[in-house]
Amino acid sequence: MDALFAKGDALGPVQKRRRIYKDDSKRRPEATSKAGPSHDRTLNSVSLHTSVPKSLRQTSPPSENIPKYSHIQDSKLRTKLTRQSVQSARNRALVKDAELLLAEEVGLIEVEGDLEKTWRVGQDEVAQAAGQEAAKGRKEWTLDGGPYRSRYTRNGRHLAVVGKKGHVATFDWQAGTLHAELQLQETCRDITFLHDHSHFAVAQQKYVYIYDRDGVELHRLKSHIEPTRLEFLPYHWLLASVGNAGYLKYQDTSTGQLLVEHRTKLGACNTMAQNVHNAVIHLGHQNGTVTLWTPNLPHPAVRLLAHLGPVVSISVDPSAGGRYMATAGQDGTVKVWDCRNWKGAVRQWSTRGGGGELEWSQKGALAVATGGSVNVYSKPSIQTPFAATVTPPLYLTHPIPHRPLTSVRFCPFHDILTVGHTAGLSSVLVPGSGEPNFDSAEADPFENKRARREREVKGLLDKIQPDMIALDPEFIGSLAPPPKLSTAIDGQADIPFARLPRLERLRMRGKNKSMKRFLRKQRKNVIDPRAVRAF
Amino acid sequence: MVKISVLQHAPAAHLPQRPGDPTPTSRNLDPLMHPFARARERMRALNAAKMERMFAKPFVAGLEGHVDAVETMARKPESLDMVASGSWDGGLILHDISRRTRVLHVDGAHQGKVSGVCFADSDRLLSCGVDRNVKLWNIRSSSDDDQNEAGPSSGQKPLSVFPGKTAFNSIDHHRSDPLFATASNIVQVWDETKSAPISNLTFPTSTETISAVRFNLSESSVLASIGSDRTFTLYDIRTGKAERRVVMQMRSNSLAWSPTFPTLLLLASEDHNLYTFDIRALKTPSQIYKAHVAAVMSCDWSPTGTELVSGGWDRTIRIWKEGVGTAPEVYHTKRMQRVTSTIYTADARYVLSGSDDGNVRIWKAHASEKLGIVTARERAAIEYRDTLKERWKMDAQVGKVSRSRHIPKPVYKAAQLKRTMLEARQVKEERRRKHTRAGETKPKAERKKVVVAEQT
Repeated sequence: MDALFAKGDALGPVQKRRRIYKDDSKRRPEATSKAGPSHDRTLNSVSLHTSVPKSLRQTSPPSENIPKYSHIQDSKLRTKLTRQSVQSARNRALVKDAELLLAEEVGLIEVEGDLEKTWRVGQDEVAQAAGQEAAKGRKEWTLDGGPYRSRYTRNGRHLAVVGKKGHVATFDWQAGTLHAELQLQETCRDITFLHDHSHFAVAQQKYVYIYDRDGVELHRLKSHIEPTRLEFLPYHWLLASVGNAGYLKYQDTSTGQLLVEHRTKLGACNTMAQNVHNAVIHLGHQNGTVTLWTPNLPHPAVRLLAHLGPVVSISVDPSAGGRYMATAGQDGTVKVWDCRNWKGAVRQWSTRGGGGELEWSQKGALAVATGGSVNVYSKPSIQTPFAATVTPPLYLTHPIPHRPLTSVRFCPFHDILTVGHTAGLSSVLVPGSGEPNFDSAEADPFENKRARREREVKGLLDKIQPDMIALDPEFIGSLAPPPKLSTAIDGQADIPFARLPRLERLRMRGKNKSMKRFLRKQRKNVIDPRAVRAF
Repeated sequence: MVKISVLQHAPAAHLPQRPGDPTPTSRNLDPLMHPFARARERMRALNAAKMERMFAKPFVAGLEGHVDAVETMARKPESLDMVASGSWDGGLILHDISRRTRVLHVDGAHQGKVSGVCFADSDRLLSCGVDRNVKLWNIRSSSDDDQNEAGPSSGQKPLSVFPGKTAFNSIDHHRSDPLFATASNIVQVWDETKSAPISNLTFPTSTETISAVRFNLSESSVLASIGSDRTFTLYDIRTGKAERRVVMQMRSNSLAWSPTFPTLLLLASEDHNLYTFDIRALKTPSQIYKAHVAAVMSCDWSPTGTELVSGGWDRTIRIWKEGVGTAPEVYHTKRMQRVTSTIYTADARYVLSGSDDGNVRIWKAHASEKLGIVTARERAAIEYRDTLKERWKMDAQVGKVSRSRHIPKPVYKAAQLKRTMLEARQVKEERRRKHTRAGETKPKAERKKVVVAEQT
């Protein structure tokens, strides 16, 4: 029996004593725990086989500022929390190390001295200085059929263009292969790719149509009437459209059902943008308001009077986690807003020629197409608060003689800006606007057919439910806020049913008394202690 | 002089060098490049949890052969596939569970029920019955004959018979020596070569019937038994006397020593719970396992000592993690009756249950585990999914999917009723305490209610 006890002792203590700290003075210092090598032969023989081998141990030392959990009494929980925070600190360090592996370099224009200006550099000069591959980005497409709009796929490889008169084309602009070319013979207002280049949606005269890569019409979405703008939310597989009737409609492209339609009550809408970081749709209206929409709210999440006169264009900065929004109005001003604090614009300036299209690039360059030219502004100056209405320092400018300029799109992962205008499209090189290092798991310009299929299936499996869209995307996995409605009695919440007093347990009976019905109506969405008490 | 450089990707760096090469991938861990990373990971965790439940098909096979309830089972040491089972009809079967055949089938091995079986060594089997005999069987010859699916051979003769004075309830063989212990109204230790017991072990004042006896797996001279007098007793066969005895609130139905922690003892109790006792501290159990809604009839440790299985009168089998006293995995099937014996296989991948309906059933120990070869990629995916489930288990939806189990309506209702009753009892106790003088009675921890007395 004693031999058995000795074996047990070598493996572990009898029982972990649960210590409840009534007062801290009784707490023993932690140094009393046994240190140094044990002389127990059984223990030594066992410990050899139970420890993690050296090759599997973490080599990098844990970082210094790991939170201490000494206030937590449950030792198992404490150990777990400590282990988690050590691991996350280690992960952060490793991510920082991984930045060294980013191979490609961002483009730039550098000037020497104050007398040289970047905006004086013309496109010919840029194209000459660019490498052979990059110079291919400078292109002029002369096309008939009215002002053009364009859209790139998420990997920047494919381009879809649509002319007002119904000319639709999708092509791989790098390889120069045409996927589909259609003459739809009716007014087309917008185009967007769906999850990848294999499908695209066109906002036509009456409805939204979905075509496949070869231009075969797959669906006519009859519920989207007279659409003007389209957006596709890639992680939620939602096609959002807004039209002349002022309805914002979400269509789930994985299941095909019309998810929800919101009545904006603000008349015809010609301006839409999405925030890629939280999938909120920004709409700009005729009366100068900008509204932010999510599928699960019947009213706008944010409503903002941005301009005196119609809003012409909106764009959200993808380089700062969706923190900044830029709007352009018919009144000829461009405003940059901070999406966390809507009290006034961060910066505003007026442009020549009134109303203009704008778009932020991946690296945070803002292109504004007004009048007969495209102006590009670079990052730190447009986002720093500045009271006066002064144009921020210009980065690049490019005149285009074919007014009006109807769309500006940056090509992801390239230094290319595509401007749509009456006579077709022009691609302009904007050094430093594109993200140089793509992630193959998200969007890969060089992906092959198998990778595309794989991504499609993975994307469907990881499809986020539309009710997860909120202004703050990080709410998932964080602590839930305390509930507003609770069954608390006298300030004590969460009393189990069995412990409630008898009267409370019987409370559910007699729900249909007229007085109670009246009180319930009164109580709608209001937590009034008096009404609760009477109830 | 203006310095201009425009971003360009070299196709050579991103396309395969030769046809057939894998396409090179590149990574950018910047969080801005991965919008909705958290939401997507949660979605993946939810899918993983759903997939786990989808593939949770634990039942593997049923082994027939017994006419009446399967009372006892034993696995052959140093073998993965041989399991012996004894039944109330007196039948004794040696199953080959990998081929699902009967290697040996003795009909009427004992008069009345076979109350215990154990392996003496790799080719001999011991069985005891209520007919007051212990019989030693040879299993080598029959397995050589290759009489698969052999019918009941009542002509099979035991190698030797050890007659006793009272009905035997249980038998266990010593790990290394040719000794075995039997349980009747006393614990007897026998030598395989002698026809009478070499020693009788009993607690001095005990008058109970011993229902099970087990040798410790590490210190093989130590012996534990449980008795009808709500007790369990520890003996040492070298000193030849009972060392400790613990009287509990309710009697135990089965016991098992931990295979990895030598002082740990598992008891399946009549009060719907399982208890582990560290025999160095017998005052309180080291863990209580609560989920059964009727008496627990049998229990066994997994050979790794990290999991345990129990079968109950409520017609369910539960698989527990060691040290986690709630929310076990539940197995049940429509035609399975009261589970009277459960056992792990030696590779810890399967669980066997013998029930009142006379069948021995094979279950997977992990319900959604894939059987067969798992490739490295698949293994990596499984591990990733497991990590996701672990990481997101606090999420309401993920947690609910991975926690909820369908259980038969009677079991569900019984659990509900039990919970209500226990809660009512607790509320009553609280009220009573509230209305008596302060400090008169103190709430007693559940662990401290289990043991009534500890005797030496």
